[in-house]
Amino acid sequence: MRIVILAALLMTLASAFVLYSSNYDTRQFELRVAEQERAIEKARGDIAVLKAERAHLARPDRIEPLARALGLGPASEKQLASSPDDALARLTPDATGSVQRKGN
Amino acid sequence: MNGNEQPRDSSAETAPRAANGPLRTLIATAAMALFFMAIGAQLVRLALMGLGDGSISLNEAVAQSFARPDIVDRNGRLLATDVEAYSLFADPARVIDRDEVVEKLAVVFPDLDRAALRRDLSDRNRRFVWVRRLLSPRTAQQVHELGLPGLDFRRELRRAYPGGKLAGHLLGHVNIDNKGVAGIERYVDEVVGVESVQGATLAERPPVRLSIDIGVQHAVEAELADAVQRFEAQGAAAIVLDVGTGEVMASASLPTVDPGQPSTSLGNLDKVAGSTFELGSVFKTLTIAMALDSGLATPETVLDVRKELTAGRFTIKDLHPLRRPLSVAEVFLHSSNVGSAMLATQAGAQRFQDFLRQMQLLGPMRTEAGPIAPPQLPQRWGDVETMTTAYGHGIALAPLQFAAAAASVVNGGHKVTPTFVKRPEDSGIAEIPVLSANTSATMRTLMRRNVAERAGTGKRAEVAGYEVGGKTGTAEMPGVGGYREKAVISSFLSAFPMSKPRYLVFVLLFEPKGTTESGGEVLASRNAAPTAGRLISRIGPLLGLLPTQAAIPGAPGLAFDASSAAKYETR
Repeated sequence: MRIVILAALLMTLASAFVLYSSNYDTRQFELRVAEQERAIEKARGDIAVLKAERAHLARPDRIEPLARALGLGPASEKQLASSPDDALARLTPDATGSVQRKGN
Repeated sequence: MNGNEQPRDSSAETAPRAANGPLRTLIATAAMALFFMAIGAQLVRLALMGLGDGSISLNEAVAQSFARPDIVDRNGRLLATDVEAYSLFADPARVIDRDEVVEKLAVVFPDLDRAALRRDLSDRNRRFVWVRRLLSPRTAQQVHELGLPGLDFRRELRRAYPGGKLAGHLLGHVNIDNKGVAGIERYVDEVVGVESVQGATLAERPPVRLSIDIGVQHAVEAELADAVQRFEAQGAAAIVLDVGTGEVMASASLPTVDPGQPSTSLGNLDKVAGSTFELGSVFKTLTIAMALDSGLATPETVLDVRKELTAGRFTIKDLHPLRRPLSVAEVFLHSSNVGSAMLATQAGAQRFQDFLRQMQLLGPMRTEAGPIAPPQLPQRWGDVETMTTAYGHGIALAPLQFAAAAASVVNGGHKVTPTFVKRPEDSGIAEIPVLSANTSATMRTLMRRNVAERAGTGKRAEVAGYEVGGKTGTAEMPGVGGYREKAVISSFLSAFPMSKPRYLVFVLLFEPKGTTESGGEVLASRNAAPTAGRLISRIGPLLGLLPTQAAIPGAPGLAFDASSAAKYETR
């Protein structure tokens, strides 16, 4: 009888300990989950901001002057040549193949 | 009673004590076990449920906003998105020094309403007062550095428009709770759907893909701004429409609006779909298409247009009379008011109206961006109205609605329904005929001649290699007590390439002045036509159409490799 009681007591102690530690672990995991959820949320927010910033930097009214400065412009029929020789003949040091803005 | 029971009681107490010993122990053990089980159960419950995350949900109802899907253009480039922003609120119960809070905040927000804030903070029963919403991170940091107790931030969603004012009229705008109230933003709320959220949870819906192309939209806006400056106009508008699918590739109205800072100023109304105008001679395109389609005339039919027409108190005359009979083709090329009025009269009011109804010009029309301003029709439609409508007066239309009808004239004669949302690649478009293919082909030839020939009014819209065709229109604007002669809307209706039109371009300039650029004239041939030409030379390559030399007489007939047209997609 005594041995049973003793065993039960030990079991109680052991299970209390197990319960407590698993409870503690659970809380730790919960904290980590919350932390990671926050990190995900923050990353998503950052992605949204970066996407918006990237689109803002790539907006046409910023790109246009940059492209114009590089001598780029809309394709024009003047860029067509009837043969490779014709194209080479047009090649002068200042002709980059791009056309300036038309109609000015 | 008592005396009787006493002995029985005492005897019962001594004798069963030994017998009841194990029973009592059992009861005690059971009670203890129950007690421990209850504790255990409570522990398990706590372990499973947690203690709650301790955050307060004090003001959830106040801080509700909407998470919206992104809006992208047809190539997936971003037009509108949600970003997180900080909103500042105060908890009056926790504010220690009201005046300090008000004074220090006024440093960060110079336009702060101090009296209102002081009043709000005085009410100790309130636990939540918005101070300023949707702050930039920098301003939020400044407030944070003040270190005032009782102030706190909530993260909320704010709509950002990375393109700035690009396509501002079309996009519309949202209110402070991120709810769409105008334009495409409203369509997003009503049709696509938004999620009601607390705090800053981004939407997970797929983006709304519009039909417009950011590059084309920008080119159109830039060219219009240029034209407004060149011709000292009060405003301008332009539409680029895919004549096959009805997709609007660009829709611009100047002065522009910023979707991030909506204003309700009347001068900034959307001129493409939000207002109606008497469009003038561009309307002759429809009158002549009607005459050809109903078999009343062929391009060679000769009309005697030498006499001025009188109808009621109106006299209809031509601006530059040629003093000889004109063929129907010449009526179109020389933009004869008398000739068009004669054709409409010949057809009769009923047939003319039926034709316009078939072209969807007499009824209301709506797009995803909301209803198009309904057409302003004559009160009663008699002979006079038939004549004036023939050359585009007495009937006021939203440019978008007119452009859709004009698109059916050039696209082989089938119905065009304008849309601002990209159609799926595989969706077939039901071809509902409204005109015969022959009429459409004849109209294309006439429009092309109007640009290609030296005498054509649209010759300044010619762009080498694009086979542009079009019709000019210079309409006097109605003012107080009649039409104002020098205040005009000059417009150019064009399509390209004319052998098989892909896109329609409709340009309108409002109240342009006679500058040296336009030879001192306000005629569409001198301002709207060259603007359309410049526009087409810019947007052609963006739309994947490259110029060819085939269309130029005497040229070797070269063309770009069409498959090499630059197309890009971003995610």
